[in-house]
Amino acid sequence: MKQEIRTLLEDSLPLVDFDSDFLFAELDSLGIAQILMSLSLKYNIPLGAKDVTPKNFKNLDALVSLVESKKNK
Amino acid sequence: MDLNDYIYKFAQETPDRLAIVTPTEQITYGELWDHISTNGAILEQQGVRPQEAHVFRASQSINFITTYCAVHFNHAVAVPLEQSTPQEVFDGIQKETNHHVFPKGTADLLFTSGSTGKAKGVMLSDTALTTCAENFLHHHPYTSDLVFIISGPLNHIASLFKIHPTLMAGGTVCVIDGLKDINAFFDVFRKFPDRRFGMFLVPASIRMILQFSRDQLVEVADKIAFIETGAAPITKSDMAELASVLPNARLFNSLGGTEIGCVCTYDFNDGKYMAGCVGRTMYHSHIEINDEGTILISGPTLFTGYFKNPEQTASVLRDGVFHTSDRGYFDEEGNIHLLGRSDDAINVGGFKADPIEIENVVMTLPYVADCICISAPHPIAGTCIKLLYMVKEGQTCTHRDVALYLKSRLEAYKIPTLFEQVESIKLTYNGKKDRQYYKQ
Repeated sequence: MKQEIRTLLEDSLPLVDFDSDFLFAELDSLGIAQILMSLSLKYNIPLGAKDVTPKNFKNLDALVSLVESKKNK
Repeated sequence: MDLNDYIYKFAQETPDRLAIVTPTEQITYGELWDHISTNGAILEQQGVRPQEAHVFRASQSINFITTYCAVHFNHAVAVPLEQSTPQEVFDGIQKETNHHVFPKGTADLLFTSGSTGKAKGVMLSDTALTTCAENFLHHHPYTSDLVFIISGPLNHIASLFKIHPTLMAGGTVCVIDGLKDINAFFDVFRKFPDRRFGMFLVPASIRMILQFSRDQLVEVADKIAFIETGAAPITKSDMAELASVLPNARLFNSLGGTEIGCVCTYDFNDGKYMAGCVGRTMYHSHIEINDEGTILISGPTLFTGYFKNPEQTASVLRDGVFHTSDRGYFDEEGNIHLLGRSDDAINVGGFKADPIEIENVVMTLPYVADCICISAPHPIAGTCIKLLYMVKEGQTCTHRDVALYLKSRLEAYKIPTLFEQVESIKLTYNGKKDRQYYKQ
């Protein structure tokens, strides 16, 4: 799943370094919205502004965990 | 009276009233006036002279606003550049403006995208800034108990020009760093439980809030006095949805620009939610539409000219009338409706990017044979920039290579969102890029 998410997000946000541990700092509001939309559509999970925390957007692993936790609910 | 006169007045009358807040700092009118006069003295020591430019980076901070006011306090010209401006561009503007003596009364020099591949310096007078603020004070409910939330970059007029009416009304400016942390945006409402709020949000931000934070918006609905939008088209459905979530707030869609200030506004609480409508002319402004459908604007909010570019000034500003690139018409009630632009600028979340400027930078990449920047639909921003590029035979590159190169040479909003490697670029019969073809 990690590679799938990486490919999905790198394609829509080519400027963002998804190997970074400071992903939240790298993104702007449109980038955040793009990630929420892409993951929500791809995995059919509800994602909203309350999910946008520095912890959930720390790095790619944190995003994978967020998706997994939403899918398991 | 200009902005500093009002700040001085409130510093005398209500020194303890909050003037500016950020998530980490706050300053009263009394303190603000002290900071402005102190910073004014420091700038003078640093050699900032009346009618000369002071180039600095815009940041979402109290320090930026006090510096901006201090430059005016010294009768110098504020040149705030976007925070992400590459150092090479910053140095170039500093060099070009160094020791230049601007016409008396010039307050700001704001850089905006040009149609010739080079950013234009827009010169604005004290009068333009004050009368633009008076337009807002006349038509929008700015009051002394208002907290006006500024989330956009402070070098952009949609944000910068909201400082003036808010402080001239004795209200509080609240500066946050974008809407990335949407929870920080909603924290502002909790921080001031007894205040009313106003804000400017580009349509992309409204779409984002409605899509991802609708519940939070409902929770604070009664605290919102008004929301103004503009700088890009807002859809009829977003107008209607916003009005249903905020039944007691006043909602405006305005027409403005760096060269013109804010000149007309549409109160879309009328239930009609007319997409493309920017309402009636504001207090200080006058609008006509010529036989070709081009919107012509006059009044004291207009700029005085482009920096060191009289030819370009004359091409749009003649006999005190500004010839926009917007086409439109008046309806029977005197409302102006926009029909689109007659130039190639691409509107990205309220920023107008010049495709030629971006293409010129792309063409400096050694492996690119040709390219074109076009407008593409985007689910949040409405439109975004898409770069189509051809790679020279035998060469390879990734979208990321191109994006990173552009990032080092252009402001963030000019970086395309979408990239596509293509085999050819469609040209017109005389060999120019066929922009009309890609607009279809």
